[in-house]
Amino acid sequence: MKLNRKEENPEIPTASMADIAFLLIVFFMLTTVFSTNKGVEHLLPPQEDIPENVDNEESIYIQIFPSGQFQIDRKPYTIEDADEVYNYVMSKVQQNAQKPIIIHTNREAKYGDMMIILSEVKRVGKDLKANLAITLPSREERQRYDQFQGSL
Amino acid sequence: MKIKKTKSLEANIPTASMADIAFLLIVFFMISTVFQVDKTQVRLPKSSETTREDVVKGSAFVVVTKDGVIKVSDGQEDSRLVNPEEVVINAAAWMNKNPSQPIVIKADAEAEYGKVEDVVDALREAGATNLKFLTDAEKGGGS
Repeated sequence: MKLNRKEENPEIPTASMADIAFLLIVFFMLTTVFSTNKGVEHLLPPQEDIPENVDNEESIYIQIFPSGQFQIDRKPYTIEDADEVYNYVMSKVQQNAQKPIIIHTNREAKYGDMMIILSEVKRVGKDLKANLAITLPSREERQRYDQFQGSL
Repeated sequence: MKIKKTKSLEANIPTASMADIAFLLIVFFMISTVFQVDKTQVRLPKSSETTREDVVKGSAFVVVTKDGVIKVSDGQEDSRLVNPEEVVINAAAWMNKNPSQPIVIKADAEAEYGKVEDVVDALREAGATNLKFLTDAEKGGGS
């Protein structure tokens, strides 16, 4: 008896390959959008425990002006010297990690300048793996600083 | 006896619905992922890579443009324009829903700091604690 077996050539269906590829493309496009969304974290102090009396302690006082200049503890720099912030804060904070750092930015100053300084200070915190006491003064606090400075 | 000739079946996987499945998945991802609630074009300030942390999914957004226009989004809906005084009301509503709601501040580097300060003050007043200042990566800088 003769068996009539039809030769079948094996084949992997590739019609859907394009769809799968598109799916993957879309997936990667979405995930890469997420990973570029990053920012500098800043934690505000909880409102309940505002200490009434804080020990007078020497803080690091950084003041930023609209002209693109800034002062660290009254020593003037221009914004191009932002590396100085890192060096100065690092040298101070190594002795006392809880040293308050006040970033007092003039209202007319550029937000970008303030972020350059803040990011330098944050970098110190990251490199030392410490939580630094960084303060962005509120309006009332800022006015108090201004008065204090006026009286000097 | 006559043996019935075996009918040769052609083996194949039905692929007609493959495209439908693929499209279904694409649509599912598009709808389920919350991405970019705000599409305002701003020039973000730059910061070194070590200081940048991932934005938590579902963070509320406050946008400050170069001209001081303020937009807010609760992280679900698209951002909408608000008056500067309304930031505190919106923020209070977010904090009411979730006391540890992370908030992202997306401000233009050229914006006046005063506008950003008002926003930070409003968020502070509303009881927010977890802020993030959205930045771009610094090219080649930092350590």
